[in-house]
Amino acid sequence: MASTRISVDHLARVEGHGDIRLVIEDGAVTTCEMAVVESARLFESMVRGRLFSEVPYIASRVCGICSASHVVTDLRAIEHVFGVEVTDRTEALRELLVYGSYLQNHATHLFVFAAPDFLGHKSVFPLADDNPELLQKALGLKALGNELCTLVGGRSIHPITAVVGGFTHEISADEYRRLAEAMDEARAFACEAVDLFRDFDTVDVQTEGDLLAMVASGTYPVCTSDTARFVRSGYDFNAQDVDEAIEEYPVGHSAAFLARARKTGMPYMTAALARVNASWDALCKEARYAAAKAGLRPPEYNPFANNIAQAVELVDVLDRCAALCRRLAAGEFAGSSEPVSFEVRAGVGVGFTEAPRGALFHKLELDGEGRVVRASIMTPTAQNIANLEADMRQLAEKMAAADYDADMITLEVEKLVRAYDPCLSCSVH
Amino acid sequence: MGEIRTFAEGERAPRVVLIGLASCFGCQINITNIEEHLLAVLGQIDMAYWQLTSSAPMPDEFDVAVIEGAVTTEEAAETVRRARERAQCVIAIGACAATGGIPGMASDDLPGHVAAVYGEAAPEACGSLREPVPVSAVIDVDYTVNCCPIDPMEFVRVLDAALYGSNYLPVTSVLCGECSRNEQGCLYQRGQMCLGLVTRAGCGAKCPALGRACNGCAGLSPDANVASARYVAEKRGFNPARIDEALEMFNTVQLAAEGEE
Repeated sequence: MASTRISVDHLARVEGHGDIRLVIEDGAVTTCEMAVVESARLFESMVRGRLFSEVPYIASRVCGICSASHVVTDLRAIEHVFGVEVTDRTEALRELLVYGSYLQNHATHLFVFAAPDFLGHKSVFPLADDNPELLQKALGLKALGNELCTLVGGRSIHPITAVVGGFTHEISADEYRRLAEAMDEARAFACEAVDLFRDFDTVDVQTEGDLLAMVASGTYPVCTSDTARFVRSGYDFNAQDVDEAIEEYPVGHSAAFLARARKTGMPYMTAALARVNASWDALCKEARYAAAKAGLRPPEYNPFANNIAQAVELVDVLDRCAALCRRLAAGEFAGSSEPVSFEVRAGVGVGFTEAPRGALFHKLELDGEGRVVRASIMTPTAQNIANLEADMRQLAEKMAAADYDADMITLEVEKLVRAYDPCLSCSVH
Repeated sequence: MGEIRTFAEGERAPRVVLIGLASCFGCQINITNIEEHLLAVLGQIDMAYWQLTSSAPMPDEFDVAVIEGAVTTEEAAETVRRARERAQCVIAIGACAATGGIPGMASDDLPGHVAAVYGEAAPEACGSLREPVPVSAVIDVDYTVNCCPIDPMEFVRVLDAALYGSNYLPVTSVLCGECSRNEQGCLYQRGQMCLGLVTRAGCGAKCPALGRACNGCAGLSPDANVASARYVAEKRGFNPARIDEALEMFNTVQLAAEGEE
């Protein structure tokens, strides 16, 4: 009996700790595990009893890349409980902060984590000799994301200024205008990035799971809607009812809980690819054009296309950020960003955002003093693992059938895992 | 601390490895966030192992081990002990590695926290869990880069000191002096409780400068007087116990250790 074992310990170029275990016997995959071997991180328990004001600060430490998303998600959950209505200006700043983390995340993922696979390097750094211009532009785009997060949030990760009801600090109109110009300048390279990832060869895998993304009529929402859509099955649910829509379940080989849609029992992918599928019409013209040119149009179910979708989002986000910055500079949004006053009260609320890597839910139950009674976090990666394992199985069977050797299969499986842009540390919380 | 270390003469650039334990990976990410400076640094060292950015495997021999994250499993404790045996110099980066940080919040009742998240027992994939502690609780650490997240340029300064033996004097004072120099006024006067009274300086008091109270991420200053901070808080109308509660975020492990003394 022909048996191939694929075993990757501590997969490189991803955030967190994960092992891949695959066994293929006579062309059939008999074991297929994305083992998240992260130590228990216990955030959902550690925040119990803590005051609401500390909770976003603590939850931010779930993830170093999407810390801004964890903060904004927690703020939305708390504000839901207290019934806080923030100003339009605060909403705009929060969008800007989340977009900043998109720039950071996508530039880091595409160039530092994913690209070396396709360029035949162990890391991005050899590009300093091979293609210094590409490296410089890639790092420049990443730096722009850091700058945006620093100016809006106070530092590049674990933002300082975003609090319940508003922001503790804001930059000047001139700084917004300068940022807008930098965003405009960076867009040409983002379009090049779409072409670059289009040109990389990938295996044709068609995910059989569903796709999940935030939706809102006429926009490409990231933190302003409570409606989530299972794109493939074609139904929506309200984020406040997330427990009824999504089931989390434990497996022995993972420190993260896995997820599936309760209604269909399907695993699903939540990521840039799901968003592009769900809100294609609301992409800015240049981003939609770049995507179409790269062959990315809905419905697109090849998980490898998530790389292209992230590059497309870079184009889109730069366009949106430039517009937001100009409108902030011109004072077009109603109200100030100073925290609005609010009353602390008991209740349950769900915060929902599209983190760079996909849908992120924080459910908080607070008591009358504003202390956490119960907390539940669902990160994109935790939701994605079941679907990723199904795609890994499909990929491995396809390659085994075509007689590829174990090394080739290993490389492609690693590429697939990275295409999901997993944050394994995030997935355990 | 303070001892000047020299590396073997010869052509070989100092070999550095970066080990990530339980953390958000944010300090490592922040090192990549210095972009062009990073390339300059990488040009001067042999960055042999850095799982976050490279698939090159861990070498058997290295000069400097940089460790991010808290020790939360027996396996992690073994990893840092092995790193200590091999490296001439160990640098702990970030609050998790330096003070136990946020993971340290679980050290008050580990079985209780595990039960709350996983039910009876954590899955096997979590490893053999132990009460979270900073790296320095398991091995001797030569240099520490504080804060959550680290200031990556501070990391470069420390790496420089570690590699070339230049002077490095850790800051020991509390944050208030540094904060005063920002001339933004005291948050206590605006009705906010702030941990700058007892927290180690060195960060430039970024948070208070942006209108947000210090949360103690740099760890307790050796000069800290927690009792007097409680007194100040009470004078300003806060329940003095709030100082201790707020300190739990990043300093649970250190407070527990001091309580035992």
